Amino acid sequence: MSGLNFINPFGVREDPGTFTGDFYTENFSRKAKPGTVILNLGPQHPSTHGVLRIVVELDGEYVIRAEPVLGYLHRMHEKMGEVKTPWQFIPNMGRVDYLHPIAWNWAYVGAVERLGGIEVPERAEYLRVISCELNRIASHLMWWGAFVMDLGGVTPILYAFEEREKINDILQIVTGSRLTLSYFRFGGVSTDVDERFLRLTKEFVPYLRERLKMYKALVTDNIILRRRLEGVGPMGVDICQRYGATGPILRAAGVASDTRRDIPYGIYKKFDFDIPSGPTNDSFGRYLVRLAEVEESLTIVEQAIKELPAGAIRIDKAPKANYKLPAGETYFAVEGARGQVGCHLVSDGGTRPYRIKLRAPGFSNLSLFAEAAKGTLLADAIAILGSLDLVIPEVDR
Amino acid sequence: MIKAIIDNLKGLYSLLVGLSITGRFFVSPQKTTHYPRQVDDPECLKSYRGPLELVPADDTGQSKCISCQMCVRACPGHCLTVTKGDKGKAPKVYLYDFTLCCLCAACVESCPTGAIRFSHKVYLVAPSREALHLDLLADLLARAPNPPQPKAEAEAEGEGNQVLAAPVTGEAPA
Amino acid sequence: MELTIANFVQIVIACLLIIALMVGNAVIMVYIERKAAGFIQRRPGPYEVGPRGTIQAICDSMKLLGKQLFIPGNVDWLLYFLAPVMAFLPVLLLFLPIPFGKYLVALKVDDGILLILAFAGLGVISNILAGWASNNKYGLLGAARAVAQSVAYEIPMIMALLAVVFMAGSLNLSEIVERQGTWPWQWNIVFQPLACFIYFVSLVGETNRAPFDLPEAESELTAGFHTEYSGMGFALFFLSEYANMLLVSFVCATFFLGGYKGPILDGFWWTFIKAYAVMCLIVWLRWTFPRVRFDQLLNINWKWLLPLSILNLWVTAIVLKFIE
Repeated sequence: MSGLNFINPFGVREDPGTFTGDFYTENFSRKAKPGTVILNLGPQHPSTHGVLRIVVELDGEYVIRAEPVLGYLHRMHEKMGEVKTPWQFIPNMGRVDYLHPIAWNWAYVGAVERLGGIEVPERAEYLRVISCELNRIASHLMWWGAFVMDLGGVTPILYAFEEREKINDILQIVTGSRLTLSYFRFGGVSTDVDERFLRLTKEFVPYLRERLKMYKALVTDNIILRRRLEGVGPMGVDICQRYGATGPILRAAGVASDTRRDIPYGIYKKFDFDIPSGPTNDSFGRYLVRLAEVEESLTIVEQAIKELPAGAIRIDKAPKANYKLPAGETYFAVEGARGQVGCHLVSDGGTRPYRIKLRAPGFSNLSLFAEAAKGTLLADAIAILGSLDLVIPEVDR
Repeated sequence: MIKAIIDNLKGLYSLLVGLSITGRFFVSPQKTTHYPRQVDDPECLKSYRGPLELVPADDTGQSKCISCQMCVRACPGHCLTVTKGDKGKAPKVYLYDFTLCCLCAACVESCPTGAIRFSHKVYLVAPSREALHLDLLADLLARAPNPPQPKAEAEAEGEGNQVLAAPVTGEAPA
Repeated sequence: MELTIANFVQIVIACLLIIALMVGNAVIMVYIERKAAGFIQRRPGPYEVGPRGTIQAICDSMKLLGKQLFIPGNVDWLLYFLAPVMAFLPVLLLFLPIPFGKYLVALKVDDGILLILAFAGLGVISNILAGWASNNKYGLLGAARAVAQSVAYEIPMIMALLAVVFMAGSLNLSEIVERQGTWPWQWNIVFQPLACFIYFVSLVGETNRAPFDLPEAESELTAGFHTEYSGMGFALFFLSEYANMLLVSFVCATFFLGGYKGPILDGFWWTFIKAYAVMCLIVWLRWTFPRVRFDQLLNINWKWLLPLSILNLWVTAIVLKFIE
């Protein structure tokens, strides 16, 4: 056994009975119980998508406890918001969650607009909806590919990227970038759409509907995938409530909760779309809810493109770089791809906000993991982690 | 028991469906753009945000900049340095640190005269970090169709129609 | 069989040829696999090195050869270096009784399939050693998975082959080929479709290929039992994986697909064509399906393949008795 006693290199065994809580907050040096192994998943692990670290204690392949360790990608976005003018902080929003940056754009810009009482022209509202929904589709596609890759199927992610590239092409026309989009401005959006944008979007909607059928045949109906996901990691309403989970996870638990419907913002009231809420609250339910959401987003995009009014894309006296926020406090929430994205803004009337709190849905959703993964197989824990759709920069902010 | 067998037979059929899909993609044309030999849709480059460049005025070919410092104040990354010239409003120095730029267009949108815009320099490479500290005035001069006969410094910096402006040395203020 | 000098020389030459075959096969299969993955994923695969990327695999193996031998801290270095060699050597032995052509057999033994099945079990020991010796928790988990999987999948594999052996009445591989006809409907796959299916599934399990690649499950165990191996150690594992694939494909061709017999012009090329067709199918599977979970892997084996293969064997025996 020389060199192989990695559980407990110094041979000190603690009394397993005294162990109570989570070992991150207590200490790292806490030893495993006899017969178990502590395994570090991450920060560099193929399935933790970035730099999430999960410390798991394994008994054989069963997860006794799992503790997510955060903070490897903490970039102080909230603090940066306090030292930058509102105008300067918009690009940061594209970097918080690189998969659905438009929602974060919207959360921050919406909060400032609500505090400053800034109106948005109708055309800009439509453009916001179109870009946000396209971006949501791109995010879900990326998740879909990465999730199947977690389960061992490498090919679907490349199919998902074909569609994602098309969305990137479309959004690049107005935003100028393909990943960290910053499209929204106070009182409107940055650029107007052109004929090419509308044409590509109109082509894209039926194209993706066709592709979704292929996705279903290739992956959703696949017996291996179903057996891997069905019944794995059930997350009921109670656990979602306790940890504040939102988005597809809460909807898969059977609650048709969606910020677009519950606290309507923008012009979402005008559109006719369903809130898919799954019949099962397991990983497969979450999978189905997300794919159904892609279709709903396509419906919204279709309607918005059809009804797109003419007019200005920004109000005349749109706030500029020297804009002073009025004193006050507000909270603005939008529905991101991962759940409720919120921005709590406190201003003392200066050029810079006094305090910004960003509500990242991924953070709350990740909190469910420790509980849901307990007692599952390691492969199931990976599947549960994938089904949460985490974006680590957003979790750490 | 019977149900389990039927389920598994259906499952095997789903596997065959999966194989047929990947098999179909195997023989269908590829999506890859062989980058150096092929170029993707050039339309995509119209909205591409390369490093900033100054917009030449229609009549004089000089910069439209009036040294109002709006761009400097708007920039979240503090990547611009503009110094007013001795006479008139034209800038003497317009330095741009591309390594700090996040291409957010705050400067472009806050400019009252429309003096700056994003270039479409896609194939931008630099041998060093310093080479990305760009002098936009020199860049403007180099792009001019008929470069007005220059002063000494501009002559030293002009490198024809290069992608990169010449590296700026020693001029950056503290 | 007596061991004469002529025999000995024949075996030595055969061994050298087999080593050449194994290395050549690895290079070809790496290329085929990467190209197939690329085409399935609608990209060209290796493209830049050599015409259409043909010498990419050779360059990669050169790179692996040139890498420093890296020993992680606290490994059991003897086992650590022994494991890749152990993975490689038994496979060499397994090719000896395979009838590539009518006369192209390295070692004509009467119970050739027994030799293959007996030594095929050795391969898993190298996986255990590798996982154990490299002092890595992922490695250990991968090794543990490898043992359970390998032990489990050998049984239905043997049962499936046994059905064919019953039909042929011989354990000699050449004999089994001779009993099959030249046309596809005279091959054993027609008479023993269930055995062929079971054999194929357990072949994928036995060679640790996706969707049964549990011992190296990338998204769970990073690289499983060979997590800590780089350079030549990794290359040897790689080589043995492809050699194992080639072996089981040859066995499949011999037992179920008529071996060296074909519609026109019998010969060793038919064996190769059939074996590589089987391998392409394995590659195709890998790039299509997600991975099964470990308990499901064992359930498939113990609850479905094993009873089915026993049933198949039983029915075969009864039918043969009646025909007599």
